[in-house]
Amino acid sequence: MTGAAGHPRCPQEIDRYLAEVTARLPGPRKTRTGIVAELRSGLIDATESHLAAGLGPAQAVQAALGEFGDPGLIADGFLTEVAASQARQVAATLLVSGPLVGLLWLATAMTSHPAIRMAASWRLTTLPAGLGAGIELVAVAVAVTATAGALGIAVTGRLTRWLPAAPRHAPLAAAIAGFGAMGADGLGLGLLAAELAVTQARLPLLLAATAAAASAARLLLARRAACRCLALRASLVAAR
Amino acid sequence: MRAETLKGHLDGILLALLEQGPLHGYAIMEALRVRSGGHVDLPTGTVYPALHRLERAGLVAANWSQAGGRRRRVYQLTPAGKHSLETERGTWRDFSAVVSALLRPAPLAASPS
Repeated sequence: MTGAAGHPRCPQEIDRYLAEVTARLPGPRKTRTGIVAELRSGLIDATESHLAAGLGPAQAVQAALGEFGDPGLIADGFLTEVAASQARQVAATLLVSGPLVGLLWLATAMTSHPAIRMAASWRLTTLPAGLGAGIELVAVAVAVTATAGALGIAVTGRLTRWLPAAPRHAPLAAAIAGFGAMGADGLGLGLLAAELAVTQARLPLLLAATAAAASAARLLLARRAACRCLALRASLVAAR
Repeated sequence: MRAETLKGHLDGILLALLEQGPLHGYAIMEALRVRSGGHVDLPTGTVYPALHRLERAGLVAANWSQAGGRRRRVYQLTPAGKHSLETERGTWRDFSAVVSALLRPAPLAASPS
């Protein structure tokens, strides 16, 4: 067998077939690349099996492609796995990045705001009303992110043996975690702007700028990830 | 036999096919055809995603291996997969015994004297 696309044992028909599967497969690039590589290997095995059974090269390739079926059906079959992979990746990224960004904000707040420094050391203190309410809202957003993120991890890994969940729940949990992260980061940025505008607090500029940049980046990434997860959930619901 | 007929049992069947040793995706599909006497010929779009789902659940482990100039993704049972297979077998034995008993023709009632 000779072939194009730099693969000496992969005929052009198989490359075209896999290009169709790839075009219909959503989700993280690494997951898609792995799936397509495995399908390519399977198609070559199937072709060789048909060659060994006595078919000619062209018929063997056609028989292998026929055995694997419509590229759209193959892509649909992998939708649940791709959605789980995307949801898990989003949830894990949010759960890891959250505490890192949170620490930057905490360091900024403790350096600039004596009341927060005192509250953090468990000394009785009263925060300005607006700041206190803002921090409570951040805590709610963080709790939503952490809970939804943990659920997203739980329903896409080994716990599925004991915790069966409908496939559409994983991207939904990851999307909720994404919206929670957007809320937490947006509130963090809002509180910083309010502090600068109202109290003219003495902020450690480098620390505050780093925290703000990290939150802005996380906000944008969380928004994109949440939208992707919702799109995958919609595809799963439509494919039911 | 269609995929819908095997619904609920595909995971156990795939685990059973891997009981004898590691296999790659296409070899699993061939084993399915051979061991079912040609009665089961599932679409590829069902088998490969099911293998990925089993991997995600930790019931099989998958690794890329290189042999004869070819790269293949090879699946093998994990200890949790072996345990799950035993559970599946027990459940199936109980289920099939009950259904067989229910489907068996009832003995003719003794005619009243």
